[in-house]
Amino acid sequence: MDAIPAPVAAPRPAPPGAERRLFPRSPARESARPLVREPLRAPETLHPSLWLGHQLGRIGSDAVATGFARLDAELPGGGWPRRALAELLLPHAGVGEIRLLAPALVAAQRADRLVMFFDPPAALAAAALAGLGFDVEELLIVQTRARVVPGSDSLWALEQALKSGHVGAIVAWLPPRLRADRLRRLQLAAHQHDGPAFVVREAAVAGRPTASPLRLGLQAGGADRLQVRVLKRRGPPLEAPLSLELPTVLSAAARRRSGSASERAAALHAATFVNFA
Amino acid sequence: MLWVALHFPLLSLESFSATLLAADASAASAEPAIALVDEHRISAANAAAQAQGVKPGLKRATALALAPRLTLGQADPARDAEAMLPLAHAALAFTPQVSLQPACEPGAAADTVLLEVQASLRYFGGIDRLLQRLLRAIAPLGHTVRIATAATAQGAAVLARVVPPPRCLNLASTRQALAAAPVWLLGPGREHWEALQGMGLRQVGDLLGLPRAGLARRFGETLLAEIDAAFGRRPDPREAIVPPRLFESRLELFARADSTEQVLHGASILLARLVAWLAAQHAFVRRFRLLMHHETRWQGDRTPQATSLEIALAEPSRDSDHLLVLLRERLAQVQLPAPTLEIALQAEDIVKRAAPNSELFPTRQSENEGLTRLIERLQARLGADRVQRLAGVEDHRPERASRGQRADASGRPARASPRGGGGARVTDTRVATASSSAATVSRASHPVWLNPVAEPLAERRSRPLLDGRPLSLLSGPERIEAGWWDAELAERDYFIAEAADGALVWIYRARLPLSAAAESGWFLHGRFG
Repeated sequence: MDAIPAPVAAPRPAPPGAERRLFPRSPARESARPLVREPLRAPETLHPSLWLGHQLGRIGSDAVATGFARLDAELPGGGWPRRALAELLLPHAGVGEIRLLAPALVAAQRADRLVMFFDPPAALAAAALAGLGFDVEELLIVQTRARVVPGSDSLWALEQALKSGHVGAIVAWLPPRLRADRLRRLQLAAHQHDGPAFVVREAAVAGRPTASPLRLGLQAGGADRLQVRVLKRRGPPLEAPLSLELPTVLSAAARRRSGSASERAAALHAATFVNFA
Repeated sequence: MLWVALHFPLLSLESFSATLLAADASAASAEPAIALVDEHRISAANAAAQAQGVKPGLKRATALALAPRLTLGQADPARDAEAMLPLAHAALAFTPQVSLQPACEPGAAADTVLLEVQASLRYFGGIDRLLQRLLRAIAPLGHTVRIATAATAQGAAVLARVVPPPRCLNLASTRQALAAAPVWLLGPGREHWEALQGMGLRQVGDLLGLPRAGLARRFGETLLAEIDAAFGRRPDPREAIVPPRLFESRLELFARADSTEQVLHGASILLARLVAWLAAQHAFVRRFRLLMHHETRWQGDRTPQATSLEIALAEPSRDSDHLLVLLRERLAQVQLPAPTLEIALQAEDIVKRAAPNSELFPTRQSENEGLTRLIERLQARLGADRVQRLAGVEDHRPERASRGQRADASGRPARASPRGGGGARVTDTRVATASSSAATVSRASHPVWLNPVAEPLAERRSRPLLDGRPLSLLSGPERIEAGWWDAELAERDYFIAEAADGALVWIYRARLPLSAAAESGWFLHGRFG
């Protein structure tokens, strides 16, 4: 409307003799300056995002237990991070990744929160998921790669879900050869996501830098075992891979057979099951 | 009685600039010069045009000579009336007693809304709070507004034109403010403006001391009637407007819109009108339609006359931001068959209910609402079928045992299972898994990942090969034989095998190789994730 702008007060010129310093030093500080400071005993107690090189980093919010005690011991905060991406590098689908994530995801569902899967690489079997403890009808599966330009929608959809902050846990199978800045953007969006967020990528990116604070390389380590290499974490590097015992698929007898499979002595042979039909 | 008058001095200019495409409006960094033409003379000009010397009353050619880049539009009272209606609707959310003050000039559209708010003061916490909320409610419609309050309707309408508009809360102060108002603000006073000025009558107060009979003889009864109504000496009944049962608002675009992004700017204005209409009825929209009327390019053109875009919401809403996001995603997928000349928004499917409580901290309900919005947004962009929930089907063939079904965005528990007792069954399994999960999470010998089509495996010395390396069978066979009833007969022996890298895979061999020539040998059907 017809508001007249108020006259802006002109900055008063400083008197010629005044000190031309923006923040005049307080006399107390001046006197403290020459003193030699004692070195801090435990600097990591000052702030949660400080840690010493040999320690595991601590994360601000509590982590989500993975369900595997040996893995919990090696992860900063003792579990999957909240409000950050956890990157999983897989050589191919089906090394045991769902069984690794299942305890955390099922816990999210039990807490009455939504679990979303983005672009799973194959069809999911409802009965097998229910066997792992999932409530399959409460699992939302988003397919984003149907459109002409692949990748454009998947990142958008994932970012929306992370930013909404209402989803309990997210597992996303990212398109291959993702640019680093895209992942950084997702990591920024994940700050608003209260829960674990996993992104599954191809194993070939292991040598490239990543924006996510946690990166694990997964590999099958024999029947019902999973080899986890911690490629990046807030803490010292972990040289030896962890071998985790997954929930079993095989019966005890079959597992024994698997252990001796290298000798191929006890392995079942197809000829055992000749068709007499 | 306490009347609030909302006067929109730039209504016709603003209703015209709404029809300009967003691209035009944002092309120049400065505000573009816009003027309206009525019968070859400029009737209104915005600040940018006035800075270049364009004034109301100039001839069209003169104005164009002064400002060659001037955007000239035709003054259109019907368009102004269409823009006025949502402003009245927005006011209806505060009191049912809302009316339009008829314009002074014959033929022009009304540009003042009158509200009687005495009864609403207590609920909204005083006149200041109410005016604050009223301003916030009409802000999305994007009009410049002047607000005056007065004890009479006519008085408020007159005082709203005074610069700056006074706030009078009782009759005495209203009369005082009116007496100081310039005389040409009265409707009939404008006609006789020159005569009144010649007689030295500049303010309304000057007229009060004159003999009434003489005034009536010289200037007509209407001048006296208006003064009496404004001063509260004569009853001034107003008819309250009633919002239409169906919402329809249209916007004729100034230039043709070739792309859907250009349509979006106009659509956002229509959405703001829709939200005002919804607020007037305390309702939420469940479904609305955007119509884009196309230009006919030649005689016998076969392209459709209009493209219709139907948007259904899972959760009724009147949040214009959310509606706009949905509209944007849907519009991005639409290919316009021809340039759009006019857009219209229609809504009839509404739900009346109380407004949701706003909460300080996130709660269960706000999380559900947020999820609904997220799912709606994903569905709007990706397609409704791309957001799925899994459902178990009772079939022994693994490829048929689960099915993705479209997730309905409303609320989370999609317990709408096709089977009658589905809900009960689900809770049963949940209890069962909860009790047994502690000891052994699963003895599920079926894999999580299934290949949609079983992948044939090479074979060497009757051992299946995966990627050229032999698989060692660990467990099996598990015989699945089903489907004789629907011509998809499966007779398979399933084995769990270990691949060379240690991963477990699920392979099968057709039991009756003779039954189908294609189904012989080994097949990879799944992987244990």
